[in-house]
Amino acid sequence: MEDNDDYNGYYPWDGDFTVCSPTGCIAVVLLQIDNYTPPDCVAIYGPLRTENIGIEKIIANVISNPHIRYLILCGDDIRGHRSGSSLIALHKYGIDKQNKIVNAPGAIPYIENLESKAIKRFQNQIKIINLIGVKDKNTIDDVIQRYSKKHPPSFGKPYIAIKIKPQTSVDIEDKRALHSKIVVNYMGKIEKRRGM
Amino acid sequence: MFSFTRKQEIFDVSGIKIGGQPGEYPTVLIAGLFFIVEPDFNKAKKNLKTMFDVSKKTGNPAIPDFFIRKEEYIDRILDFIQKTLPKNQPFSIDIIEPQIKTKMLKKLDEKKLLSRTIYNSIHIGITDEEKKALKRYTPDTAIIVAFNPKDGSPDGKIEVLENGAHMTDKGLLDIAKEVGIKKILIDTAALAPGENSGAAIAAIPVIKEEYGLPVGCAIHNVVEKSKWLSKHGIQAKKIVDIASNINIPLFGGDYIIFGPIENTEYVFPTIAWQDILISEYTENYFGIKPIKNHPRRKLI
Repeated sequence: MEDNDDYNGYYPWDGDFTVCSPTGCIAVVLLQIDNYTPPDCVAIYGPLRTENIGIEKIIANVISNPHIRYLILCGDDIRGHRSGSSLIALHKYGIDKQNKIVNAPGAIPYIENLESKAIKRFQNQIKIINLIGVKDKNTIDDVIQRYSKKHPPSFGKPYIAIKIKPQTSVDIEDKRALHSKIVVNYMGKIEKRRGM
Repeated sequence: MFSFTRKQEIFDVSGIKIGGQPGEYPTVLIAGLFFIVEPDFNKAKKNLKTMFDVSKKTGNPAIPDFFIRKEEYIDRILDFIQKTLPKNQPFSIDIIEPQIKTKMLKKLDEKKLLSRTIYNSIHIGITDEEKKALKRYTPDTAIIVAFNPKDGSPDGKIEVLENGAHMTDKGLLDIAKEVGIKKILIDTAALAPGENSGAAIAAIPVIKEEYGLPVGCAIHNVVEKSKWLSKHGIQAKKIVDIASNINIPLFGGDYIIFGPIENTEYVFPTIAWQDILISEYTENYFGIKPIKNHPRRKLI
């Protein structure tokens, strides 16, 4: 098992996940579940916390590896955020014109950093196995083994949904600047930058 | 250490002053009571006593933030607030689920607690029912979380405040004003490591100069989510968690949501020390006089 160091060029969005088998067909999403580590045959596993950026990360990373065809959600859903149920809603219904996940029960279920093509790809590439509420290690392991033995074909080429943006976004001449909207004088007085 | 050109609002939140120029008022410290399992009120009472005692010593005002996970806890927690907190002591209520938020507002009104409540929080997930409930049962004070899932930069945070970044029909500031919130506190929305987490700190002076409103955040959340830091042990992580809070007053912030109330005994002296450092400079250079209860007046 390896930590997330750009394995095989997959998984473009860094985060709290562990990479196992590059040709594994399963991604495991851990909701609230203690002391459970999926077996090495899975492609990738990690926790899901938020119903917006957390879901986006999972989609971007899962569709970057075409071998992944199943996504297993296990553990208790997170109260309020309902991130697991919101991910299922996204897979089922997609997003509306305001980029809100349709029928998502979470508090802030917006998908802002992925194109609709990436969401479609996720819907087509992945079958979701809903084990929300299941925390028993043996039960989850049995499901993983069962789906692992199916050996589904690869979905084709990797889909890179997100590229990490360059960090420099503004060109400001004065060296003490914190932000393009404000100016800080040499003793620390802040004022609004002219024209902003 | 900074001073702002724009006039800075100072709000009186049920007796606690929040806002102003850096070095003027002590940083307000907001402590979380999370009740992860069943509420343990004996432990909460003990922790609150410790917090109010240390708050008296340093001069940094203390506000408890009650995180309510289940509807069935509402009555018990409000009873506890009424019986245990000092008279007029403000408190904050932190609820994620919109349905529980609306029920809580009605209860706060019934118990005549709205003037002491800091509503935590208004954000882009606000529902129509929540807006209706806020209009009907309006807390004096609310925290607006400037979370923008598309753009975590200071500009993105300002965008949700100004126009809702297309996720709400208008900006969060207008929504808060329309429902009748009189005292608005801005939370710059600290995100996870790797998600432009530093922008929550950089946004503090930008938003203060833009609006003149009190600004703060829960920067300790970034530490809590740090995976590499966990590998250095509990003690190291705790020290970083507490130390991370000094960034907020250093960048001009007015309040800190510092996480578990159990960290009180470390957070208060750390921030008192930082407030003294800031005050020494801002008085000498900008002529900002610290109030009588400022740590610099009380401790030195």
